[in-house]
Amino acid sequence: MLNIQTRQEGTASVVTIQGKVNFEVTAQLRDVIRDTVTTQLPKLLVINLEGVSFIDSSGLGLLVAARNSVDKNAGKLHLCGLPPQVKKTFDQTNLTNYFSIFATEQDALRGA
Amino acid sequence: MNKGLVLVVDDEAPIRDILSFYLKRAGYQVMLAENGRRALEEMAKSSPDLIISDLRMPEMPGDEFCQTIKGDPATRDIYFVLVSAMDGSASRIGGLNLGADDMIAKPFHAQEVMAKVASAFRIIGMQKEIKRQNLTLTRFQERMTAELSLAAKLQSGLLPEAPGEVACLRYHHRYLPAEGIGGDIYSVLPLANGGAAIMIADVSGHGVTAALISAMVKTSFGNQIHLSDSPRAWAEGMNRDLARSTLEEQFATAFLACVDPGNHRIRYVVAGHEPAFRIPAASPGKPEALGGRGFMLGLDESLPFEELSAPFEPGDRLILYTDGLVEVEREDRKYLGNDGLMGYCAELPRDGEEAVAQILEQARAFHSPNPFVDDVTLVLLDRVGC
Repeated sequence: MLNIQTRQEGTASVVTIQGKVNFEVTAQLRDVIRDTVTTQLPKLLVINLEGVSFIDSSGLGLLVAARNSVDKNAGKLHLCGLPPQVKKTFDQTNLTNYFSIFATEQDALRGA
Repeated sequence: MNKGLVLVVDDEAPIRDILSFYLKRAGYQVMLAENGRRALEEMAKSSPDLIISDLRMPEMPGDEFCQTIKGDPATRDIYFVLVSAMDGSASRIGGLNLGADDMIAKPFHAQEVMAKVASAFRIIGMQKEIKRQNLTLTRFQERMTAELSLAAKLQSGLLPEAPGEVACLRYHHRYLPAEGIGGDIYSVLPLANGGAAIMIADVSGHGVTAALISAMVKTSFGNQIHLSDSPRAWAEGMNRDLARSTLEEQFATAFLACVDPGNHRIRYVVAGHEPAFRIPAASPGKPEALGGRGFMLGLDESLPFEELSAPFEPGDRLILYTDGLVEVEREDRKYLGNDGLMGYCAELPRDGEEAVAQILEQARAFHSPNPFVDDVTLVLLDRVGC
């Protein structure tokens, strides 16, 4: 269902998510993000949503919580690769203005 | 010391005596019977933990006795050891097929029997423990089910009684929580100026937590409408209330609206919620989406909200809903979506009750055979005057 991969790019951590993000899988995703944030203390956390076909409100909540926890460590959260369906959800909830959103992972890693 | 009650059934008195002697010495209580029929009579007085029964006996032989015991729900859990003179695998399998838990071959050593008895009581002990735990779990589950159904009743009491009328609005609804209890809520309240305040909200997550927050959302809305007549101020106030009192990942999407008497417009705020649909009385085949970009409530205290407005004439109709109605994934990966629902809204019967029933039926048919998976709320409001 959900495929999550993490890797380091210098001082940045990249989390790549593929599949449907809904309340059935948020626990799994929450653990991965929490582990990444607490063990790597990344200056920049990039979450790549390119392969996400659907995200529900619990998934959005998770991303908001991720931003808050990165903020606490004086880091930044960049999202990238939002497919149209996901972009629509972000637009509707105004989260496009709440997160720093980039077109590609390269942009997200470069973005200040 | 009482280690348990053993019933020994054998037509030969010396065998009963020997087994009785060893069992009592080992600390067991013993009942004796010379055949199956007598054994059943004894069992009417007290129920043994373990039965050791001979196979060949007059009146009621061991196989028939065993079947009687294992066929009765009241006694079938009693551990049954069948003693048989035939020491062949055929008779052994035969005995176990009758439902006996174990077999002993004749002639036997008393020590062998005692070892089997000890092992039988270990199993009996475990079975009793499992039964005890199972009972505890069953009771717990029964209590939770009862409490949940009570909570569900209370929660549906939080919704307005529909169909109903507030100020110049007549409303109908359908409310289908996914788990008996859910995070959807809506409210239609009269304003001091003779107008009406409208709110529909969908709390993130499911079940009891979402239900508790939905009650908070309703309370907060009820408080806010007394403080101002601006949906934007209501959204800001509710956002503050929720941001302060909920956990990190919990928030609510909402559509808040205000209808003023004599003013043929509706003022509204979209807080991350699905657009509402206005069906103009003048052109019911052309619904209009009242959408907007807005943050969900409870995300962050300091976020701003935007108030919009649209025509809302007497005779116009407003459709509000939560995303559970349109976000069911079909086998072919298609969703009904807002656009699909808007299509249904273009062809509604004039009667409000019939209209909500028709929308729900059409949405169900679209998703079929998949059921709704999230909480579903659908509200229809007709502006009947003012």
